[in-house]
Amino acid sequence: MSIRFEKVNYIYQQATPFEHQALYDITLTIPTGSYTAIVGHTGSGKSTLLQHLNGLLKPVSGRIIIGDQEITSLTKNKELGTLRKHVGVVFQFPEAQLFEETVLKDIAFAPKNFGSSEQEALETARQMAKLVDLPEYVFNKSPFELSGGQMRRVAIAGVLAMKPEVLVLDEPTAGLDPKGRIEIMDMFQNLKIQQHLTIILVTHQMDDVARYADNVIVLEKGHLLANNFPEKIFSDSKWLQEHHLALPQATRFAKELQKRADSFNFSKVPLTEEELAIQLIQRINEVKQNDE
Amino acid sequence: MNKIILGRYIPGKSFLHRLDPRSKLVLSFLFILIIFFANNWRTYILLGIFTFFCILLSKISLGFFLKGVRPLIWLILFTVVLQIFFTRGGPTYWQFGPLSITHFGLVNGGYVFCRFVLIIFMSTLLTLTTSPLEIADALENLMLPLKKFKVPVYEISLMISIALRFVPTLMDETEKIMNAQRARGVNFGEGGLIKQLKAIVPLLIPLFVGAFNRAEDLATAMEARGYRGGEGRTKYRFHAWHKNDTLSCIIFGLLAAILLFLRSW
Ligand SMILES: Nc1ncnc2c1ncn2[C@@H]1O[C@H](COP(=O)(O)OP(=O)(O)OP(=O)(O)O)[C@@H](O)[C@H]1O
Ligand SMILES: [Mg+2]
Repeated sequence: MSIRFEKVNYIYQQATPFEHQALYDITLTIPTGSYTAIVGHTGSGKSTLLQHLNGLLKPVSGRIIIGDQEITSLTKNKELGTLRKHVGVVFQFPEAQLFEETVLKDIAFAPKNFGSSEQEALETARQMAKLVDLPEYVFNKSPFELSGGQMRRVAIAGVLAMKPEVLVLDEPTAGLDPKGRIEIMDMFQNLKIQQHLTIILVTHQMDDVARYADNVIVLEKGHLLANNFPEKIFSDSKWLQEHHLALPQATRFAKELQKRADSFNFSKVPLTEEELAIQLIQRINEVKQNDE
Repeated sequence: MNKIILGRYIPGKSFLHRLDPRSKLVLSFLFILIIFFANNWRTYILLGIFTFFCILLSKISLGFFLKGVRPLIWLILFTVVLQIFFTRGGPTYWQFGPLSITHFGLVNGGYVFCRFVLIIFMSTLLTLTTSPLEIADALENLMLPLKKFKVPVYEISLMISIALRFVPTLMDETEKIMNAQRARGVNFGEGGLIKQLKAIVPLLIPLFVGAFNRAEDLATAMEARGYRGGEGRTKYRFHAWHKNDTLSCIIFGLLAAILLFLRSW
């Protein structure tokens, strides 16, 4: 499902003294099957943008086209049912959505709402619980007895159980330990490859952007600042600095190295540790050959 | 969620915003009391003009007050209709079994409607121009004499201010959870009664769990910072009685006097 925003404006609490415009004239395209990262400062409108993707918020003006569904300010909630099934959203701190008696029942909640039978839904729930690496012994426990990281996994499984075509993730790893973070991010990556999902990820972790994304959207105070490949975004470190955005660690290391050794030139700016290592080895081999 | 206007504070610098919360609280209460003394159209017009004047003074647009009435409109209409049908006296215009529309009924219905609107406007005015914490402070201050009778004044006022403080937080939370459950296919406010009630469970449980967790965190945080009860605690905000407060009391006294005069005119 391709996603297109055309001149989307959004205003919170319109026509009150608390009025606050959160999105200004956003026009962008998210290609089918892409892994799109949305970055920007706190309060730049990332979560607001996300909520437009399944019609939780509707644009005040402009329109959004997702697959064959159009959303404008006039779209009725009734027309959004199928869209919500196709676009799964994992919100910031999703463990706040848990409520069922057992982990499995909670994961089965969404498929049941979208018309699966009790049996089917529980079967799906079991698969999803395994997919997110929950240990078997918690399946029939109350979700409130789990650790924070486990609760996060249950909540994510609860969204995956809808089998969405587009998966929207709002800082899915905030507050998790480094190991859990990598596990969950890798799981999303595998899902994308196996099921050809379109993934849209909001994150403050530039390393995750560099490692996984193939399309980056930069927001600033509700305006679209850039929409480009990560290589392009991270190659202009001056522009990034102007907009107070960080570089991935590997890129920062490469920049630092270049500053200290003028002769050192990278053929291509490395974004991940792997790319960095490969290029360093290349250079070392070149130097060795020259010496001989 | 953003439709609820009752109990909402709009910051400003108007005359009413700067009044001492204690005088605002007491005067609003007294105003609501004297509404029940109004007994003819002259008195209602007087109170109406006074209310309108106060609204102008607050520099808040009239739309906010009308929005305050909206959630209660069915209750108001219901009461008005009851009044119209069940009050007897004067010429009868229409009759059906125990129901009748009489002259007195219509007049009483009109009065009840005015009463409701005036009360809602005035209490909306109080909450729109006074921050919740100011109201709690004022309550504490006004209740202090009750300490002699062993009423736990500090505790009560702390409870009130914490409750008021967490209203917006809980509303945000409600909206977040509703969104998360909507994304999982729940339709709030659609379908039959049973279906709607069922839809509330996935909202209420996380909300309660969150509220209890927050309460526990808050208690821990307060104890960690040395809270031991209200006795002898110093305050960040001090309220002082100004000329304007005296002026307001005098104006209100005049209003009450004119009202009593018009009542028996
Ligand atoms: N319910 C709301 N009512 C009014 N204003 C809001 C509401 N939600 C968000 N805003 C405002 O809209 C702006 C964008 O908020 P948003 O939540 O989209 O930011 P964000 O980019 O997701 O930030 P973060 O990185 O902290 O999650 C902020 O200035 C915020 O204050
Ligand atoms: Mg956000």
